[in-house]
Amino acid sequence: MKVRVVGDSCIAIIFGEDISEETNRKVHALADYLLNYNPEWLLDVVPSYSALYVYFDPLMIDYREVIDIIGKIKINEVERKEKRIIKIPIAYGGEFGPDIEFVAKYNGLSVDDVIEIHSKPLYRVYFLGFLPGFAYLGGMDERIATPRLEKPRLKVPAGSVGIAGKQTGWYAIESPGGWRIIGRTPLRTFNPEKIPPSIVSPGDYVKFVPIDENEFWEIYREEWGND
Amino acid sequence: MIEVLSVITSATVQDLGRWGYQRYGVPVSGVMDEVSARIANYLVGNPDNTPLIEFTAGGISIKFHTSAVFAVTGDATLYLNDTQLEPWESYWAKRGDVLTVRLSKGMYGYIAFSGGIECRKILGSCSTYLRAKFGGLLKPGDKLKLGYSLLTGKAGKRLPEELRPRFDKTVRVILGPNIEHFTPEGMRTFLTSEYTVTPESDRMGYRLEGPRIEHSEKGADIITEPIPRGAIQVPANGKPIIMLADAQTTGGYAKIATVIRVDIPMVVQTRPGEKLRFKAVSVNEAVQELRKRERIMNAIRKALQDEWNLYRIKVGKEEFLIFAGMEED
Repeated sequence: MKVRVVGDSCIAIIFGEDISEETNRKVHALADYLLNYNPEWLLDVVPSYSALYVYFDPLMIDYREVIDIIGKIKINEVERKEKRIIKIPIAYGGEFGPDIEFVAKYNGLSVDDVIEIHSKPLYRVYFLGFLPGFAYLGGMDERIATPRLEKPRLKVPAGSVGIAGKQTGWYAIESPGGWRIIGRTPLRTFNPEKIPPSIVSPGDYVKFVPIDENEFWEIYREEWGND
Repeated sequence: MIEVLSVITSATVQDLGRWGYQRYGVPVSGVMDEVSARIANYLVGNPDNTPLIEFTAGGISIKFHTSAVFAVTGDATLYLNDTQLEPWESYWAKRGDVLTVRLSKGMYGYIAFSGGIECRKILGSCSTYLRAKFGGLLKPGDKLKLGYSLLTGKAGKRLPEELRPRFDKTVRVILGPNIEHFTPEGMRTFLTSEYTVTPESDRMGYRLEGPRIEHSEKGADIITEPIPRGAIQVPANGKPIIMLADAQTTGGYAKIATVIRVDIPMVVQTRPGEKLRFKAVSVNEAVQELRKRERIMNAIRKALQDEWNLYRIKVGKEEFLIFAGMEED
């Protein structure tokens, strides 16, 4: 564990230089501990692959004291005991996944193979970042890895599930985007009216569950109303 | 209620930001220049975090549909109907009055109203964040409801000239956290060169043009890590980007340094085409500067809200501003 000062109101706790589940578990164990302990000086904790950034109020505490407190926390004792698995229904292909045929062709597979390979693993949510509700998932099968679009789309609907290189994930809010879209979830994966606003939290696991078009619209209406 | 009549470039409703949701990918947002925004609120008797209007250089016109006390901060020129008024002062507006403001210098100005702007909070904050459609750009015809406030005694407050922000364009930074991604020559370039703010600058970040900062053999990319406000990322082209209020929560470019909190208002008030320089300081120095600033902000708030008195005293040829009041502890 290395500590780095980032400006006057933040320190970074670095657990490694790699993208690995083991390192990331330590990041979340410390994040959970700090959120639970929630001292007055703590403004925010932001996890990423191998680092945890701790934002604090320098008017309330000296950074050396923050480092000292964190140094004394015994990570192993506070590790998460159970994993939370979030099921995300997806309608693959068709109007929901305009690029699924390209992904299949690019990798010499059938569309059904792509669906099977994509919906099989238990994906780990390494962290959320980039855009609200955007999850960095780990564990996609390399047999369906596909490069990004040469020209990004101007508008990708919220809930679209895509592949970019060896990564997969969904667009939680409508945005421009260059990922190959293979399907869409009817769930409202990011809802600022709810706390927490995101359907997944960093450290969770995700299981994609294939659904058909009828099921999609049924869930969609429940989640989004008639808008 | 007030009504937006026209907006030249852009204007939004902001408060001090949306803290606690960065781990869900939600940027903090909030005002770009916290000093000007907080003082605007103090001038009209509001607490620090009261929602107010942030406008950019072009300016904005609004109409009062109710009487209200307001104040404008920033290097602004302003007119209430045809009468020119001063920034950093609070005034009483009657129903039907039209306020027109422009910035003569700087990038962001603020209009605060006694009682604040009423808004629907999203994740605990009124800050507009356009990319996720949290609020929106103010446009002609928009009507904003003002909060209730006893207006007596709130107009006619003025921040003395000496206490208004002054900017010298040397930005103090704390080096790191990714300095091993830069060569010693790259670090020297960063600390000894002048950088110009480019037009591709917005609430997300300011892109700078200037001598190319050399990366070490480790290169420009890091494993994606969080980005605090003020962090200076240097992508492969060697040109620094200062990450600001609406910055994404994480990013993959090496960070050479972070602007100290006290100097962020100076950075955001720099217009495209204007220049900045960087100077490295210690964390201790940054925190001392912040403590000093917050002591002054606290005194300003109390003096403007009649808890303390502010006297101007002449001793020989020299003039002093003296805050007189009781400290709680």
